Amino acid sequence: MIEVVGLNMTFGGLTQSGGSVEALRDVNLRIEDNEFLTVLGPSGCGKTTLLRAIGGLVTWNSGEIRIDGRAVTGPGPERAMVFQNVALLPWDTVLSNIAFGLELRGMAREDRERKAMELVDLVGLSGFERRMPRELSGGMQQRVGLARALAVEPKVLLMDEPFGALDEQTRRILQEELIRIWERTRTTVVFVTHSMDEAVLLGDRIALFSARPGTVDEVLRVPLPRPRSRDIGSIERSAEFVAIRSRLWERLREMQPDLRRPAPVARIAS
Amino acid sequence: MTVAAKGVRATATGRFRPPAVPAGAVSLLVGALGWEALGWLWQVPFFPPLSAVLGRLVEMVGEGKILGNLAQSLSDLAIGFSISVVFGITIGVLMGAYSKVEAALGIYVNALLTAPSLVFAPVFFSMFGLSRATIVAVIVMYSIFIIIVQTTAAMRVAPGDLLEMGRSYCAPRSVLFRRIILPAATPLIMAGVRLGMGRAVKGMINGEMFIAVVGLGKLVIDAGRRFDAESVLAVLIVIVVVAMAAVKLVQLVDARLTSWLPSTARGA
Amino acid sequence: MSSVGSSAIGQRIAASHTTYRVLTFALFAAAWEAYASQARSLLIPRFSETVIGFFTLLTDRHFWEALFISNQSLVLGFSIAVVLGIPLGLAMGRFRAAERAVDVYLNILLVTPMAALIPILLMSLGLTLASRVVLVVLFSIVMIIVNSRAGVRQVDPSLIEMARSFGASERQIWWRVLLPGSLPAVMTGVRIGLGRAVTGMVIVELLMVAVGIGGLILEYRGFFKADLLYGTVVIVVLEALALITLARRLERRVAPWARQSGVMERA
Repeated sequence: MIEVVGLNMTFGGLTQSGGSVEALRDVNLRIEDNEFLTVLGPSGCGKTTLLRAIGGLVTWNSGEIRIDGRAVTGPGPERAMVFQNVALLPWDTVLSNIAFGLELRGMAREDRERKAMELVDLVGLSGFERRMPRELSGGMQQRVGLARALAVEPKVLLMDEPFGALDEQTRRILQEELIRIWERTRTTVVFVTHSMDEAVLLGDRIALFSARPGTVDEVLRVPLPRPRSRDIGSIERSAEFVAIRSRLWERLREMQPDLRRPAPVARIAS
Repeated sequence: MTVAAKGVRATATGRFRPPAVPAGAVSLLVGALGWEALGWLWQVPFFPPLSAVLGRLVEMVGEGKILGNLAQSLSDLAIGFSISVVFGITIGVLMGAYSKVEAALGIYVNALLTAPSLVFAPVFFSMFGLSRATIVAVIVMYSIFIIIVQTTAAMRVAPGDLLEMGRSYCAPRSVLFRRIILPAATPLIMAGVRLGMGRAVKGMINGEMFIAVVGLGKLVIDAGRRFDAESVLAVLIVIVVVAMAAVKLVQLVDARLTSWLPSTARGA
Repeated sequence: MSSVGSSAIGQRIAASHTTYRVLTFALFAAAWEAYASQARSLLIPRFSETVIGFFTLLTDRHFWEALFISNQSLVLGFSIAVVLGIPLGLAMGRFRAAERAVDVYLNILLVTPMAALIPILLMSLGLTLASRVVLVVLFSIVMIIVNSRAGVRQVDPSLIEMARSFGASERQIWWRVLLPGSLPAVMTGVRIGLGRAVTGMVIVELLMVAVGIGGLILEYRGFFKADLLYGTVVIVVLEALALITLARRLERRVAPWARQSGVMERA
């Protein structure tokens, strides 16, 4: 279980004006084991920052993040991240990229490559394990990123808009794959996205973020049945899907600045 | 971005930050003090303390040695560098625009860019003798090729979609060149000019040291022959100032010409 | 350069390039020949004389000895510059504080004509191999440092973050991310540094310590052996080009994933 309690975070002096930006204010969140939580919000609302905080990549001003009762102070073996820009090592093959996390943990070469091969199969990259990242399409690269994270068998998978940079068809296919894989592994997932459809389709619950300062606006339960991998098309046409989607849009629409009215002078994070 | 880089620690809101002292100035001051101290502690003829060097510099200025030679050097630099800029950009534009010109000259330009330029000083000497023409030729040799190479590359950076946009309005080639290709090329050309200036100053000093009849380079050689380290270093300070100022000058011109660029796109 | 399908076209383009190159060279040689025969100077050889001088030198023991002497300082100085410069540059790229302190000096060194330091070197080390080596180091190390530093700095920060998220230690980050990531730029620095080293080797001999190749050039000038003088210049240029071509090959071989390492020379 992940608990985020009263999290506040300010970036100081990073803007050109030298002022500070309040990235997160009093964020409270509770993520159960084996739960798929999607975090949805407008861009620049701090949802990625929250994910990085859970990942132990940034420090914060006050509040606490606990995983199974233990406070997060840095990255840990029970968490693994998937990045929006994938972040593959360009000088390594697909296989050794997937095995990277295992390598850092000191696993012997044969063992980690055997393990990595299993994941190559799982994410559907068989035959590509000796390729270099630059030879792969964006969708295939993100499969490698996902496999790399799954390889270390994390309790918690932290996904930062992993499909955000992909074209729509590829994104859809990867969403289906992710649902399929998740329904097999049932890892706890925190999935940041700015796509409403994606948030609904993947999540058990949706944490809706508002911007400036970033905080949890509300948490909605997605009333869609599991498993969802079998018939995604009909899920999307279901009344529940349409209802929750329009509810989300209502809230997000209110958060958008009205461009026809003069905008209040706001500090924008650089 | 910085956050992503190193996981910058978030600091408390509104914490007072003292105005930053430029790190460069501090470290120059530390260096100067270190030089002075080392000069006194380490009593060797070739490493006089900074104060002695500066004292000598003032003396030399008083004797009228510096300014006259400086003027000589700068006028050679101006002539040589102007030749490099005019011919360098012209040749670069031609090479960028016509693939045949590029085919004819490309490898030679690249070869001469990488070859040690001063080795041609004896060749120029054989042509022009102990004259300023030799020095100017060395300056051109040092600076022209980097300008050519950068200009050639610059002619190809015009974004394809802008060119297509221009063609879709039936813009003739000359208009495309003036309104799209040239503006897009300016930053890279200016980078070449800046690099060329750095090289030109080196060419000036090296050429003068080789010919040893005029200029700051001659002062260095003379002082060296007298084993007069204070004078060598005094002139060296002048040279460094001239070099920094010359490059700064080009940067100022560059900033004027390319003010439309977002500051992030500017290379250092 | 050309894809599989258009290799025939590629060949034709390459062939026409060669034609133009040869034409340029022929034109240059003819102009030289004409200029020299009209100048009638003891110090300006004709092109044909230079070609003969070039081959004469290649069979001359005296010349090879000079070349050997020159290259001693090149090999030693360049090796020292590589061994010191790369770690220094890498460290500066990673540790901001060190970088800020040294930055202003690097900028000064980048624009300073190192040759002006030759008299100081001679006063301290004399007309020795050591002073030539030090000068070669001074010439080449700055570019190696600057490029290595840039190499570390331009490593994609998301790769570092990714490694940290998998629990990488600083050591592991260095070995698996920073070193491979900066390798292309480091190799570029090594190549440019090599060019500088050759320059340093020639300059010190031409300006102050008349030994080796530089000494030979001055000697030929003194005896009006213009053909040999020009021939020597040609050989020095060829050596520089050969070394740099080699370095460029190595650069591509070592880091095939880097399309084109963007680091350039800086003024």
